[in-house]
Amino acid sequence: MASKSRPVVAVALGLLTTLCLSACSSGGSGGGSSKAGGVVHITLSHGYTDVEAKEITREVATWNAANPKIQVKLLFNGGNDGALQKTLANMAAGSSPDIAYEYGSSMAALAGRPQVDDLTDKVNAASFNWNDFYSFERDAATSSGKVYGVPALVDNLALVYNKKLFDAAGVAYPTATWSWDDFRSAAKKLTDSAHKQYGWAYVADGSEDTTWRWLAMLWQAGGDLLSSDGTKAAFDSTAGLKATQLLHDMAVTDKSVYLDQGNGNYLNLFNSGKIAMLWTGPWDLSSINPDVSYGTQFLPAAEGTHSSIAGPDNWMLFNNGAAREQAAWTFLTWLVSTQTHGQFTLATGDLPTRESETKLPSYAQYLKKYPGDAVFVDNLKNVTKSRPNTKTYPQVSQAIGSQVQGVLIGHTSPQDALKAAAQQADSALASGS
Amino acid sequence: MAAPSAPPSVVGPLPAFDLETPRRRRRPSGWHLFLLPLALVMLTPLVWMVITAVSTTQESRQFPPKLPTSIQWSNFSNVWTGSPFGHWLLNTAIVSVIVVISNLVLCSTAGYAFARLRFRGSGLAFILLLATLMVPFQVVLIPTLLIVKSFGLIDRLGALIVPNLVTAFGVFLMRQFFLALPPDLEEAGRIDGASRLGVFRKILLPLMGPPLATLAILTFLSIWNDFLWPLVAIQSPQNMTMQLGLSTFQGAHLTDWPLLMAATLMSQLPVIVLFLAGQRMFVRSIASSGIK
Amino acid sequence: MTSTQAPPSAAPEPTRSRPSLLRRVWWSDALAGWGFISPTVVLIGLFGLVPLVWAFVLSFEKNDLISPGKWVGLSNYRKLLHDPQFSNSVRNTIEYTLVFVPVCVIGSLLIAAAMNRRIRGMTFYRVAVFIPVVTSTVATATMFNWLLDPDFGLVNAALHKVGIANQGFFRDPHEALMSIVGMTVWGWLGFGVIIYLAALQSVPPDLLEAAAIDGCTRWRAFWRVEVPLLAPTTLFLVIWLTINSLQLFDEIFVTTKGGPVGSTTVVVYYLYQQAFQFFNGGYASAVAFALFVAILVITVIQLTIGRRISHGER
Repeated sequence: MASKSRPVVAVALGLLTTLCLSACSSGGSGGGSSKAGGVVHITLSHGYTDVEAKEITREVATWNAANPKIQVKLLFNGGNDGALQKTLANMAAGSSPDIAYEYGSSMAALAGRPQVDDLTDKVNAASFNWNDFYSFERDAATSSGKVYGVPALVDNLALVYNKKLFDAAGVAYPTATWSWDDFRSAAKKLTDSAHKQYGWAYVADGSEDTTWRWLAMLWQAGGDLLSSDGTKAAFDSTAGLKATQLLHDMAVTDKSVYLDQGNGNYLNLFNSGKIAMLWTGPWDLSSINPDVSYGTQFLPAAEGTHSSIAGPDNWMLFNNGAAREQAAWTFLTWLVSTQTHGQFTLATGDLPTRESETKLPSYAQYLKKYPGDAVFVDNLKNVTKSRPNTKTYPQVSQAIGSQVQGVLIGHTSPQDALKAAAQQADSALASGS
Repeated sequence: MAAPSAPPSVVGPLPAFDLETPRRRRRPSGWHLFLLPLALVMLTPLVWMVITAVSTTQESRQFPPKLPTSIQWSNFSNVWTGSPFGHWLLNTAIVSVIVVISNLVLCSTAGYAFARLRFRGSGLAFILLLATLMVPFQVVLIPTLLIVKSFGLIDRLGALIVPNLVTAFGVFLMRQFFLALPPDLEEAGRIDGASRLGVFRKILLPLMGPPLATLAILTFLSIWNDFLWPLVAIQSPQNMTMQLGLSTFQGAHLTDWPLLMAATLMSQLPVIVLFLAGQRMFVRSIASSGIK
Repeated sequence: MTSTQAPPSAAPEPTRSRPSLLRRVWWSDALAGWGFISPTVVLIGLFGLVPLVWAFVLSFEKNDLISPGKWVGLSNYRKLLHDPQFSNSVRNTIEYTLVFVPVCVIGSLLIAAAMNRRIRGMTFYRVAVFIPVVTSTVATATMFNWLLDPDFGLVNAALHKVGIANQGFFRDPHEALMSIVGMTVWGWLGFGVIIYLAALQSVPPDLLEAAAIDGCTRWRAFWRVEVPLLAPTTLFLVIWLTINSLQLFDEIFVTTKGGPVGSTTVVVYYLYQQAFQFFNGGYASAVAFALFVAILVITVIQLTIGRRISHGER
């Protein structure tokens, strides 16, 4: 027995050592570098997958070939949902990339940090043409009057509907002047409980996904989220009650709303012809199966404003020394330029981030390739308000989201929900820094 | 205590049941009535994953899920060719193997010490060890990152290896298994003049086949499935491990389910193979470690 | 080289050399003991205890994890005592643990006992039971989201056939937590089974032979002979599963995200929200340490009870 174990132990130790040596020697650079030879290496961290990932890889390869002095390396951040956590960890460990894709909602957490670059002067340079970006995008990139990001992506919520289901139920397609009443009665007519068909789907997981759709409704009813100085909740108002009441009426009374758990199942059901209408963004269009004939339209209005809401995301720059910062800015300017981003939208179906992109000769081609996007681009003018870029917004969002969820499942009355949400929001705003 | 001629030894799965019906093993056991439904319940996700993995993207975007009309084996090959899957596999394998070997050695020695040796401070040391299990990882994520950074291991496979060379879980598990062994085994060995290490190596360790196999499988599994730590410790694509790699199939709004399921199935294969091998080890160690 | 051949007279003479032998044994035990555990202690100390202490210090600060924190003493802990959302999370966590641990331990024990026999296809059954343990949380969650979907799920369809009304499962505040219990029991049973199987392999068969000869039925033999021998393993599972269920997070994150209306917000999920969504790093640390103290106390109690039981056996 003893003699049997010795060779085994020896082999194991040998294997261990070999593997250790190979593991310790395979390492990455962790970031970019700037060498005296004149070539600056910068890193760009992103969460793109699928078509978007292919396109950005192609664009970076094009840049690298044409710009031997500035070489860009792409890093995948594990998925944008975890991007902020990874960024925080990177910042704590002192190993941030040069450019990172961040959700707009992360701006509040990152703005003003020593590791994050203040881009105000850079974007205001005449050649950059900052005003070419839509106004709400510029708002989303700004915090306390300073600019910390450059728009990477813009989207908005619009109405997407299944034409075949409308035809079958004999309901006229949604128009650009639909009211809430039109919307509600259509959803009711399109609901067939025997066949488990729903008129509308709402993401009811209590997260920002729940909140931001409700916010669009609040704005459609003419309400506001916070007081003008941002210190108190202003959504516990007539407008807020109207919005919440509509949700109650549709989900609890009419039972015409499918409550999605946050796992994107509503899209699968839409594809299977079980849901007639969605309030969603352009990102879902490419997941709609070719055998589903769909249309897009503005969101309905309560008081005449077909307000929508947008979720712009930003490229943010991190401080890794002057040489890398300069190189990163040069690259980024090219990446977000009209020409380059126009190419990106043509390949991916993302919306244009700059108004000048709609004047490109390739724009007609873009609209032809992505017919669903036309309404979304027009809808950008319906985005008049933005979510506040403050550190306390996540708590306000959570307060609203969980109360709206309660209303949707019939657990809370609209009045109680608003009161509770306003209370929680006020205390969060008061204790916030 | 039992007669000196038969020191407790591990001789195989319970024969007691078979003792009662030694010649009637041909009749299928009634236990199948319980085990089969149980197995089916446990296997449901695997079935669903396989169905999704051989569907087209379009078919996967339906709900309720339907059976695919044709089998898309290409999803599996697309994962290999369209992504650095092999690379992720290699990275994760290197880390897992080193961590498993290290844990087998360190957890068994420490587990034995805590179970059988009496020395000052052992109680406190054990409690402190357990204490590290009682705080969720998110809380110690950043300080751990800072410590690993101070060793210069960020973005190297070493960052995934060194903090996991020994786990409190493994020490705890081994300690309990050592406690289950009869203490008389050692007494006899010590009387013979063997050192603690000798007793450990020659008497006790051979009896620990099943627990060591279990430790190996569970440690392997925890490294193989780890996502959060590699997410923050690794940056370059060439150092990505399996779960990090799988996340590239999952977009914020868009997930290619068939590809992800095909990739996930392939990523789970090594663990299952290891488990099957571990099962064999049970039987072999039992058979060979017979009465000395 | 079996020890049983050695004559008992090799034992040292009691009167003359006992004190020095004892001290020698004690020293060699201490040396061996520390020798055996030192690499472990160093590694776990460095990567386990040091971060723990750091996080503990953090709980006394108002800190958003990036900029330097501000010392606020015990105010985070004081806030904990008056936080209704924290107490809600504590309630949910306790409720979850009290159901999950016993169901899982007893379930694993019974399944392992059923599997510990030589019948055809045993390898298939063992692998089948292990599959849920291997399956990633994301895949499991997607599966269960489908199975338990109130409208289209298989479970409701099956219940419908036997005349039970549609259940809300993840969507119902009264059922969501128990649905999570179901999902996690399914995922952890295999873990308990393979650990119990490993333990059952080392039960000496002659003990069972003796019991059978004595006229014990298989069932009684199981409870009277095998289960007590499994005590250290049971203790391990109870402690390990308790520690884990009190720190439940991943499954909540991929399914209910703490809802509906906070019914599945458990302590670690609350902590995660505080740290990574609301940037109250210091407060999150305080939550973590309140949890830590609770887990420590519970574990020590369990260890003590376990030691009493095993001493009682002797």
